[in-house]
Amino acid sequence: MPSTSGPLTPGLASFLKTLKTNPIDTSIDNLISLLKRRQIRHSRSCATATAYLLRSVISASRTNDANKLIERVQYVGRRLMAAQPREMVVGNIVRRVLGLIRDEAEDDREGDFNLSEAGSESQPQTPRGLDDPTDALSARHEGSDRGASRNPLPALTAAPISMFSLLSHPEPENSLPGTPVSASPSGRWLGFGHGPSKDIRAEVLDGIGEIIDELGQVDDQIAAYALDHIHSNEIILTHTSSTTVQKFLLKAAAKRKFTVIHAESYPNNHEATHATVSGANPHDDELLSTESFQKPLIALGITVILIPDSAVFALMSRVNKVILGTHSVLANGGLVAAAGTRVIARAAKVHQTPVVVVSGVYKLSPVYPFDFDSLIEYGDASKVISYEDGDLVDQIDVQNPLYDYVPAELIDLYITNLGGHAPSYLYRIVSDHYRKEDISV
Amino acid sequence: MTSSTPTAPSPSPAAAAAPTTTTTTTAAAAAAAPPTTSTPSKPSKQQQSQKPKPASKSKDAAAGGSGASPATADGATAQLTPAELKKRAKAEKAARRARERAERDSGAAPGPAGGASATGSASTKKDGGSAAGSTGGGGSRGLPRRGSAQNTSQNGGSGSVSGGAGGAAAGMDKSAGGAEAKNKKTDDKNVAVFGHLYGQQRRTTIAGAGKEVHPAVLALGLQMRDYVVCGSSARCVATLLVFKRVIDAYTTPMGTSLPRHLTTHLSHQITYLSTCRPLSISQGNAIRALKLAISSIDPSTPEAEAKAFLGEFIDSFIREKITVADQVIAGSAAQKIQDGDVIVTFAGSSIVKQTLLLAHKQGKKFRVSIIDSRPLFEGKSLARTLANAGLDVQYSLIHGISHAIKAASKVFLGAHAMTSNGRLYSRVGTALVAMSAKERAGGVEVPVIVCCETVKFTDRVALDSIVVNEIADADELISAEPMQQLTDLPDPAAATVSPADAKKGAKSAAAAAAAAANAAAESNTVAQNVSSPLTGWKESANLQLLNIMYDVTPAEYVDMVVTEMGSLPPSAVPIVHRMSTNL
Repeated sequence: MPSTSGPLTPGLASFLKTLKTNPIDTSIDNLISLLKRRQIRHSRSCATATAYLLRSVISASRTNDANKLIERVQYVGRRLMAAQPREMVVGNIVRRVLGLIRDEAEDDREGDFNLSEAGSESQPQTPRGLDDPTDALSARHEGSDRGASRNPLPALTAAPISMFSLLSHPEPENSLPGTPVSASPSGRWLGFGHGPSKDIRAEVLDGIGEIIDELGQVDDQIAAYALDHIHSNEIILTHTSSTTVQKFLLKAAAKRKFTVIHAESYPNNHEATHATVSGANPHDDELLSTESFQKPLIALGITVILIPDSAVFALMSRVNKVILGTHSVLANGGLVAAAGTRVIARAAKVHQTPVVVVSGVYKLSPVYPFDFDSLIEYGDASKVISYEDGDLVDQIDVQNPLYDYVPAELIDLYITNLGGHAPSYLYRIVSDHYRKEDISV
Repeated sequence: MTSSTPTAPSPSPAAAAAPTTTTTTTAAAAAAAPPTTSTPSKPSKQQQSQKPKPASKSKDAAAGGSGASPATADGATAQLTPAELKKRAKAEKAARRARERAERDSGAAPGPAGGASATGSASTKKDGGSAAGSTGGGGSRGLPRRGSAQNTSQNGGSGSVSGGAGGAAAGMDKSAGGAEAKNKKTDDKNVAVFGHLYGQQRRTTIAGAGKEVHPAVLALGLQMRDYVVCGSSARCVATLLVFKRVIDAYTTPMGTSLPRHLTTHLSHQITYLSTCRPLSISQGNAIRALKLAISSIDPSTPEAEAKAFLGEFIDSFIREKITVADQVIAGSAAQKIQDGDVIVTFAGSSIVKQTLLLAHKQGKKFRVSIIDSRPLFEGKSLARTLANAGLDVQYSLIHGISHAIKAASKVFLGAHAMTSNGRLYSRVGTALVAMSAKERAGGVEVPVIVCCETVKFTDRVALDSIVVNEIADADELISAEPMQQLTDLPDPAAATVSPADAKKGAKSAAAAAAAAANAAAESNTVAQNVSSPLTGWKESANLQLLNIMYDVTPAEYVDMVVTEMGSLPPSAVPIVHRMSTNL
């Protein structure tokens, strides 16, 4: 992960660095304060920080009981989400980790039934089997296999446990069928208190490792669909300096020639946008270091036209496609994105221009919005009118919203790392990724 | 739109008094204009420091130019097309002429001399070539827009000296670039779709203006270019008032008559103005009316009488079409405002300002939400005026439209023009505001009311914002933010350098040039430290910046156009236009 030398400003990099050394409670408090102070603010940075923190939480927790793990993660997750309720990715990651633990616990229990009762009757399985068919099981096993082979990788605290699980994992499987000791249902939890729950922890850690991997690869996975959506000589309008969008466009630019019109998203993100467009190094260390070395589109021979946000309507009649990044996606297909997105999406709708949103699945939140205003965060008013105009600031009410809620009907297509989806399909992906009992953590 | 000039039609109760007051104020402004556009402080010293410099600079540049041909390529002399050679020769000639003029004017009044020295540096910039001229121009052009205070300071000694020196230094650096590269680059920097709108660059100085052009017109041109006089009505009024002075100063040459010759004389002024900034629709309409009035004069009328007639005509045109029209519009638009309303407006329209102030004066309780946009921030002055008047003002930028519109109960917009197909042609971003008002999700549509004098109606039609538009200098988009001026402390340092530099200039021109170049280099590095990543955008291939001025709002977003002839639907625009032009 990013290892920046020199003094660290509080942010993702410093957090990840201290995560290894600090005690876990300090790290939790650290992340909470970072979130509160908005020193970690990009969706992905928040997600990454949360995932790493939860990994440490789980590996540091001495308990072996799945329920206790769930409780612990829920407790930490609630605190994190309360720290910054508008960073919905934090909640998403917490929910996914909870889902992982539950899956593992249920796997285990099923494994118990299968092994101990030799498939004599499968009543306990039926409710489970309905909503989660066997492919989930196989996927889980597959995951655990892959996880086992990769185990030495996260070599910090997880290493001894995973080593243990390597050895211990086959042991109950081989020995159990022969031993009728645990046939009684009451003795099941007592008897397997140690072996399987150790497995749970290791496998949950593996699962979190996969989530972290996903966070690292998501932009490239999304970019892989680029050629399916961008044709030659197209004019594409985009907004803000989203790296997901940039990678998407870069991927297409390797093969095709098109034109990009880039609205600068003035007061909040224009510097980063200018840097993205011109290829200058952004001085934003919250972006992961690899991204700052990314080539700009202009280096690939793509014509980039930078416009102020106000010119969007004037140019929309020439635009073939609008590609937007987002802050988070809601289960109803609407999205919370940088301020100004809504008016762009509207203008596109008016001109019958398709609007495509690229977003990792991790930004997909199971929240159904009812109170849109509560989703919106307001930022530094001095970006709109600097304090040099102090007399003016005193007299008037300056507003600087950071986010817009964009209703689903303005979006034509979502491209996630799983492929392209209609907005109306998103609820299904939500139910694939989050378990019902975790929707309200 | 905005009128940052004092020409803003003052809502004085006596309509007849209004034109006279505006006359005096603009006269004052125009009189004050030459000093602000040229250098006000210690003119004589500066002259001396500047006078040798243009010479040395142009020599340098010439040397650079001649040195460039071997430098560009081994066969570069052959590569220069005849057109290029001609252009260079012309530029050199202009430089020489400017220098001569500077020498000639050195004993004369400080104002013209300052101007001349400016022209000197400008012409050297021109033949210094390539990006040098444009960056230097950008430097000196970027700031004045922001306010008169910076205007004077920028155009004060330090500004002009460092600007000129910057031009020289850059000229030395980049002269090797050659002219072809420049052409190719500018082509590359033009957005293809808007190719038809990139005419010649906006005039940056008064150099090369015809001798027929009246000094007041020269000043107005620069004011319009720098958005000091900005907004359709303000430009129209200012143009008419300046033309009144032109007509006052005009004497019919021998062998021709006033109605025949004055029109051509005016068209020189008009050409000059349009090179500073393309004329607005209202200006065009006013000029058309004026020309009609001129041609209607009987050639046998004595000159004094004819001039008096024209002066009277201009005064009554301003009074009828703008001053009184604005009062009528403000009156009827203010009636639309009710207690508890939340009025959303975009940028800074003078007529909307008048309306809101009037409604406030009538004791209505309402809130105003101003949406503003880069790069002109016209709404800021509107916000200030309204807040000073005691209104409840909320201010956000274009990214906050959907938040501002949520609470809105009415949208008031100003206009640059109304086209014959009922569309509103106004400051870029207006269409977004109107669209948001009409397409509020799940809510009632917000009425969109346009306040527009009939002088802004045109018989042109527009379907999109691309065919008809105005392209402003893209460098305006990268101009430093206001915040950076706090950190831009080295400017005074440059100012302290410049007197020293001036002293040296008395000693030896070469030393002065070197010092100036150093100062320029310093200020350049400082500028780069604080400036945005876009500073070098002209050098990076494939990157284009687009700064359009207007957009076209579809007629269906406009519910009502309030004019001095009544409140109309947008479809009535062509009828009203016909009526008002046939009168």
